[in-house]
Amino acid sequence: MPLVSIDNVHKYYGDNHVLKGIDLRIDAGEVVSIIGRSGSGKSTLLRCINGLETYSEGGIIVDQLEVKDDDRQIRKLSKSVGMVFQHFNLFPHLTVGQNITLAPKLVRKLSTEEAAETAREVLRKVGLQDKFDSYPGELSGGQQQRVAIARSLAMKPKVLLCDEITSALDPELVGEVLRVLETLAADGMTLILVTHEMNFARDIGDRVIFMHQGKVWETGEAKAVFANPQTPELQTFINAVL
Amino acid sequence: MSEFTDWDILRNLLLAARWTVALSLIAFAGGTLVGLSLTFMQISGRAVLVRITRLYIELFQGTPLLMQLFLVFFGISLFGIDVSPWTAAALALTLFSSAYLTEIWRGCIESIPRGQWEASRCLGLSYFEIMRHIILPQALRVAVPPTVGFSVQIVKGTALASIIGFVELTKAGTMLNNATFEPFKVFGFVALIYFLLCYPLSVASRMLERKLHATG
Repeated sequence: MPLVSIDNVHKYYGDNHVLKGIDLRIDAGEVVSIIGRSGSGKSTLLRCINGLETYSEGGIIVDQLEVKDDDRQIRKLSKSVGMVFQHFNLFPHLTVGQNITLAPKLVRKLSTEEAAETAREVLRKVGLQDKFDSYPGELSGGQQQRVAIARSLAMKPKVLLCDEITSALDPELVGEVLRVLETLAADGMTLILVTHEMNFARDIGDRVIFMHQGKVWETGEAKAVFANPQTPELQTFINAVL
Repeated sequence: MSEFTDWDILRNLLLAARWTVALSLIAFAGGTLVGLSLTFMQISGRAVLVRITRLYIELFQGTPLLMQLFLVFFGISLFGIDVSPWTAAALALTLFSSAYLTEIWRGCIESIPRGQWEASRCLGLSYFEIMRHIILPQALRVAVPPTVGFSVQIVKGTALASIIGFVELTKAGTMLNNATFEPFKVFGFVALIYFLLCYPLSVASRMLERKLHATG
């Protein structure tokens, strides 16, 4: 049984048909990159997977939970699906440690000690164990994004959604964030990334999904897709970005 | 009429200023309580509650404070309830300040970026947990300077209570002027006392703004 199944999902913004029947199966441990031009629907699709966006038709099931717009279901889903954002969205009034321990305490009902232990563990994973008591504002963009990844990991998700997580970073900070993703991939974490990092998608990703005009236009094994695109649209896109 | 020395005038004004301070504090406390409830009604997202609050705010922001004072003072006595100027002034100022404070606070809550909501929701936090742990602590920081700044408006607003016969600083000034016929001196003192009450609040508001910005 796939970890994420997306069945014939449609979404409209008013008259704008942004997702036109998406079908996807993603297995546990897969690293899937969603690429495409802006406006192709890739971020919307990603945000549908954990219920941040509602969809108009079809169905999404993650870790045997149906994704629907219902607060209790969203809370349950948060234990299976983590998300990292382009602009980090750390809580600026809380320390790194508090950022990470808040949800495990409230949602997973961990004790303060257990949550702190988890926080230290995930911070070690992203290489920031010494930043437990810092505030987000004291960290570089790359460090903030690594904290955001750690915060998601502390919920022990089965799949991590990454929405252009390196796009807001200075070029010299992109590497440290990608290295964290690489480690996660090697550890067997399921990753679904909307990304502009084509080299990363090709070298680390298992599968690439090219979205165009609200549809999955082309999909396949990562290296093959880049080496040998089948559609002229993907050909054009790859030429433009590489 | 020269039995009033300058010191007599100032002493009487200062005594009356206690009532200005008391009325301001009550209006601020009442306005905070009512304003908080209204703020939560506004951000509840329930159409009916939002519309009621909107109407309330429009009503009190769209009419002069003086009319509100008159309506409370004379209006309630039409129902056979005797309202003292003190009660009427406290009530009217509470209603008035709550309308403005609600607008200020709603703006502060809405100024917290959408990403904070989204991140919290992805972590599984409920609406109340998001409010309590993420939105309100940040909104509070943003809200302190404009709230303190608005308290200056409340202090100056209490002057209107003199018209319904409440003896606070302005009313005392009028009475002392009638006894001394020295309007420039008397009202000069009155203005000075208002300034001494308001200026520290303005300074505090500006300092808080700088401080909270720096650590934000």
